[in-house]
Amino acid sequence: MQNPACGTIKPFTYIVPGSVQEAVAALHKYGGTARVLAGGTDLLVEWRRPGIRMPGVVVDISRIESLRKIALDGRDIVLGPLTTHGQLMRSDIIWSGAAFLASAASSIGSPQIRNRGTLGGNIMNGAPCADTVPPLIALGATVTLSSADGDRECHLSGFFNKPYATVATGEELLTRIRFPALPPGTKTSFVKLGRRNALSISRLSVAAVVSVDDAGVIIDARIVPGAAHPVWKRAMEAENLLIGRSPSRTLFAEAGRVLSEVVIRETGRRWSTEYKEPVIASLVRRTLENCFADND
Amino acid sequence: MNATVALSFTLNGKLQELDVQPNMTLLDLLREEIGLTGTKRGCDVGECGACTVLLDGRAVNSCLVLAPQVAGREVVTVEGLAPLGTLGPLQEAFLDHGAVQCGFCTPGMLMSAKDLLDHSTGPSVNEIRKAIAGNLCRCTGYQQIVEAIEDAARRKNAAE
Repeated sequence: MQNPACGTIKPFTYIVPGSVQEAVAALHKYGGTARVLAGGTDLLVEWRRPGIRMPGVVVDISRIESLRKIALDGRDIVLGPLTTHGQLMRSDIIWSGAAFLASAASSIGSPQIRNRGTLGGNIMNGAPCADTVPPLIALGATVTLSSADGDRECHLSGFFNKPYATVATGEELLTRIRFPALPPGTKTSFVKLGRRNALSISRLSVAAVVSVDDAGVIIDARIVPGAAHPVWKRAMEAENLLIGRSPSRTLFAEAGRVLSEVVIRETGRRWSTEYKEPVIASLVRRTLENCFADND
Repeated sequence: MNATVALSFTLNGKLQELDVQPNMTLLDLLREEIGLTGTKRGCDVGECGACTVLLDGRAVNSCLVLAPQVAGREVVTVEGLAPLGTLGPLQEAFLDHGAVQCGFCTPGMLMSAKDLLDHSTGPSVNEIRKAIAGNLCRCTGYQQIVEAIEDAARRKNAAE
């Protein structure tokens, strides 16, 4: 029996480019009517929703092997958009240079979803609950968009206009994600709050990077809450509070209160505020504490 | 629009060549076209894991894969666990531990467990639980399934 909330996929023109050049040529030709398909874990669900407007053309990029990679380029880590969440969480390069990105990837969906779902899809879908994005923004990641006109690079922090909308045009293909690998000893953590352990969509999450000097004083702090704002951004007020201080539970709790105040100020008071206010504060505290618990 | 696509892939060790509609899922291809009904349709949205198969050795939800996406790749379904008609070691362990009740989740559970055992020698209980986190079972309470997978891992190690 079919799930009543889930119809069959309407017909479409199926294009399977073998290279980035062929893919961007197809996107140029079909412009706004085409949709890029990679792992399909979001799109196949969306396309079977009754009443959905199916794109006329589907450009399946899953056979472009050059887009599936995890590599070091000098001090940078370079990722292909077809890299799956499973590959991220099993990668030594990611664990040593951006551990919290690996743990964010490991928190997504289920093993089956992680074996299909891609990093590029997580970014391009633009859902506020996308779990790889908060760590990537904390890492200062840039993305390369390719089109028939050539390539352009964007900071991920300015890539999202609003939920489910990015600056990429319908003719552009995400072809690379790049960020500086964190120096050894940098502390990171990703903590997510969902309704259950497996297959849960982030209600709230926090990604954090903290560096301390030899005297144990915090010299760098980057905190990015997930699913808290309409688009992701670093929590500068909370970060500034940490710089120059020594890590402590009191300090982390204070940073949590500050971040929580900022989120509530910007999203406005609503029915969920009473819940969110203390939850954001303790999630931030827990994430910062984890930075020091995990890596020592 | 929706012109059929020539598809060639390996299914349970045998080459399959057929024409498919691009809007067909791998699950529909397996069940409706090829007639392998061991793979179950549960939620059709990637939540329940009943349709789990191995794609190039890794567990995936076949309801979330378009049939033409498996071109040139290797698919293993639950039928592939008993190619000669005799049960494989994982299936034997499921029977021994009472890990099958209504049986609907079993093919998916077996395929998730197969992925785990193919990539890990002595999985911990926690690792087993994580490996089947994408498979829902409404009968067993999971405990017997976890014990069966633990036992299958032990038997596999003893045999190697």
